[in-house]
Amino acid sequence: MSAPLILAVPSKGRLQENAENFFGRAGLALVKPRGVRDYRGTIAGVDGVEIAYLSAAEITVQLAQGAAHLGITGEDLVREMIPQADRRIVLITGLGFGFANVVVAVPQAWIDVRNMADLDDVATAFRLKHERKMRLATKYANLTRDFFATHGVVDYRIVESAGATEGAPAAGTAEMIVDITTTGATLAANGLKAIEDGVILRSQANLVAARAAAWSNEQRETARLLLDRIAAQKRAEAFAEVRTRFAGMNEKLFGIARQKFGIAAPFGGPTSSGMLTLHCPPDNVHALANFLRDNGAEAISVSPLNYVYTRDNPLYAKLAGELDADAL
Amino acid sequence: MASEPDTGTDQRAQALVASYARAGYARIDPPVLQPAEPFLDLSGEDIRRRMFLTADPQGRELCLRPDLTIPVSRDYLASPAAGKPAGYCYLGVVFRHRHGAAAEFVQAGIESFGRADKAAADAEMLALGIEATTQYGVDAPQIRIGDVGLFSAFVAALDLAPAWKRRLIKDFNRKSSLKHDLDQLTLAASNGSKDYQGVLAALNGSDPKAAHALVTDLLSIAGIATVGGRSVAEIADRFLEQSALNAPTRLPRDTRTLIERFLSIAGDPDDAAGELRALAADAKIALAPALDLFETRTGFLAARGVNVRALKFATDFGRGFDYYTGFVFELHGARTERPLVAGGRYDGLLLRLGARDAIPAVGFAASIDELAGNGGVS
Repeated sequence: MSAPLILAVPSKGRLQENAENFFGRAGLALVKPRGVRDYRGTIAGVDGVEIAYLSAAEITVQLAQGAAHLGITGEDLVREMIPQADRRIVLITGLGFGFANVVVAVPQAWIDVRNMADLDDVATAFRLKHERKMRLATKYANLTRDFFATHGVVDYRIVESAGATEGAPAAGTAEMIVDITTTGATLAANGLKAIEDGVILRSQANLVAARAAAWSNEQRETARLLLDRIAAQKRAEAFAEVRTRFAGMNEKLFGIARQKFGIAAPFGGPTSSGMLTLHCPPDNVHALANFLRDNGAEAISVSPLNYVYTRDNPLYAKLAGELDADAL
Repeated sequence: MASEPDTGTDQRAQALVASYARAGYARIDPPVLQPAEPFLDLSGEDIRRRMFLTADPQGRELCLRPDLTIPVSRDYLASPAAGKPAGYCYLGVVFRHRHGAAAEFVQAGIESFGRADKAAADAEMLALGIEATTQYGVDAPQIRIGDVGLFSAFVAALDLAPAWKRRLIKDFNRKSSLKHDLDQLTLAASNGSKDYQGVLAALNGSDPKAAHALVTDLLSIAGIATVGGRSVAEIADRFLEQSALNAPTRLPRDTRTLIERFLSIAGDPDDAAGELRALAADAKIALAPALDLFETRTGFLAARGVNVRALKFATDFGRGFDYYTGFVFELHGARTERPLVAGGRYDGLLLRLGARDAIPAVGFAASIDELAGNGGVS
C-alpha cells in the first residue's frame, strides 16, 4: 500500500469541534478506530488518508516542514511561525471559524494615541525621556516586527509573552501589546484600546497545504477527492435550490434576476414542460420568490442543498497549480 | 585542531591588533555569550532576527555576541576604569545571520572611552581604521564620512514643533521614512485626531499646568485607570504638543527646501563645510558648535596624514544605527559590497548601558574577511 495523505487536525477545544463539523458537512466523517484518546485517525469510507491530531502550533510546524500534506490552522500562526510563509504553504480556503484579529493595543489612558503615527512619536519621546525603549508584550514577535517596520516605528522592545498578554501593561511588564482579539472586550477589561490603523492581520482558520510534503500521484488524487467534496459542500452552502414551473422565463428576465439576486441556472433554461431549477444565495430567496411570481410563476419551492458538484474543482485547481509551479 | 582559521589571514589580523595594542589600546576579550537585552534595546528589534538567541535555565535571554562594541562597553563600565579615559582593542568572532555570507565572522577593532578631545579622538579612529586596510594591502579604499551631530544641530535650530524634530532625527537613518516625513510635513493639516479637535483647539496656547489638570480630570471623569509606563503628565505634555502641532502643521515651503538643501550637501569635507556655513548664514540659523567640531576634526585628519580631499563626505550619511551621535565613517574596497571598516561616535550609549554620567565614546570594527578579500597578497 502506498503512503497515505496526512491531514493534520486540531486535537482539542472549539477548534477541533469546528474542524470536525466542517469535514462532517462535506461528508467526511473523522473516526478514531482505536478510541477517543488516539492521536491518529481516518476518514470513514475514504482510503489513503491518515488524520494526525495535533495542536494548532504543531500543525503549523508540520506543514512548514512538509510532514503533513494538509492541515487546519489559523492564518495568524502561519504568518507568525513560518518565515516567507507563501513559499512553504498554500492557503487553500478560509473555513469561516476561528476568527481573530491580531491588533496593536495601548492603555486607554493614552488619549493622545489614536493611530500608528501617534504611537511612533510616543515611542521615540518615551525613549528620549526614559533612556529606555517602550516594551511590547506579544507572542507574535515576527508579525509585530514586520508591521512596525512598515510604519517606521523603531523605539520599542518586544517582551515575549506566553499567555495573558493583555495583563502585561497593568502588571508593569510592558507598555503596550500585540495580541488577538475577537470583540475587544478583553482589551477593555484590561484598560486597553486597539489602535485605529493597528490591525496587523484579520485571521481565521484555514485549510492549508504543505508545498514541501511528498506529493505522490496517489496522494494528489486523494487530495483532489477531498477538495472536490469540500468545494461541493461550500458551493452548496452558498446557495439554496429554487424550483418552479415557469415557462415564461426568458433571457431578459433571467438577466435581471441574476443581477438583482445573484442566481445561477445550473441546468439551463426551462424544460419543455416549463420546469426550472435555480440556485440562489439563501438571503435572497424570498425576494426572488416575489420576483418570479410577479412575473407569472405559479408555485415555487425552496430547499437547502447538500452538495453541488460541477465539472471544475477550484480548490484542487489552486493546489495543483501551486504544486506544479513549484516542480518547474 | 578542527578548524584553524586561515593562517595567512590570522597572522595579519594578529599583527593588526598588536599594532593597536602598541598604540595604547589594551587587548580585551569579552565573553562570546552575552545577555541579549542590551543589543535588543540599543540596536532595535530589527537586529533580533539576525541574532543567535538562546536562554539560560532561569529563562534569561542570551545571545552569541553580534558585535563587540556593546560587550567592550559593558566590560569597561564594570571595570575600575569606568568613567575615566580608557581605550581597548579586540580581535574575535561575532555572530550574525547575513544574506549570502557566513554567520560567524572575525572582527578586529577599537573602542575609545572618556576622551574629552573629541575631534582628535575621531580623527585617530579613522586613521587607525585606514591602517587596517594598509596592513592588508587594500589599494586606495573609498572613505565615506558623515556627521550625525550636524543633522541634530540643524534640526534643533529649525522652527518646528518638538514632535516633528523628534521624528526627523529618528528617521535620519531610514531614508524612505525621511522622505515620507518631508511629504507629510508639507501636507495640509486635516488628518489629525478629529474627535479631539475641540479640546485640542481649547488647549492651544494654554499653559502646561492647566493642561495637566484638564487631562487628569478628563481621565478620571471617563473612569480610565492609568496603566503602563507613561505618566499622566507625559500624556498631557504630548496632548498639548499635538494642539500646537495640529494648528497650522503645514511646513512652510522654504523650510522643506532648506532641509532638502542641507541633505544634498556632499563632497570633500572642506567644500562641504563652506556650503554649510553659507546655508546657516542664508537661513539665519546657528550651526556653529557642531560645524566647528566638524572643521576641527578635518584639521586633525589632515595632521594625521589623511588625504582630506579624497574623503567622501555627505550630510545624509548615517550608517543606519541609532546609537551614533557624531562622526561616522566606512571604508570600502572595490571588490565587495560590505564595508571593510566601519565606525563612529556614540556618546549616548554608555548612559543607556547604565553609566551614571554621559561618557564620550568612539570606535570602529574592521571585518577581517572583507579585508582579506580586498587586499593584496600577504
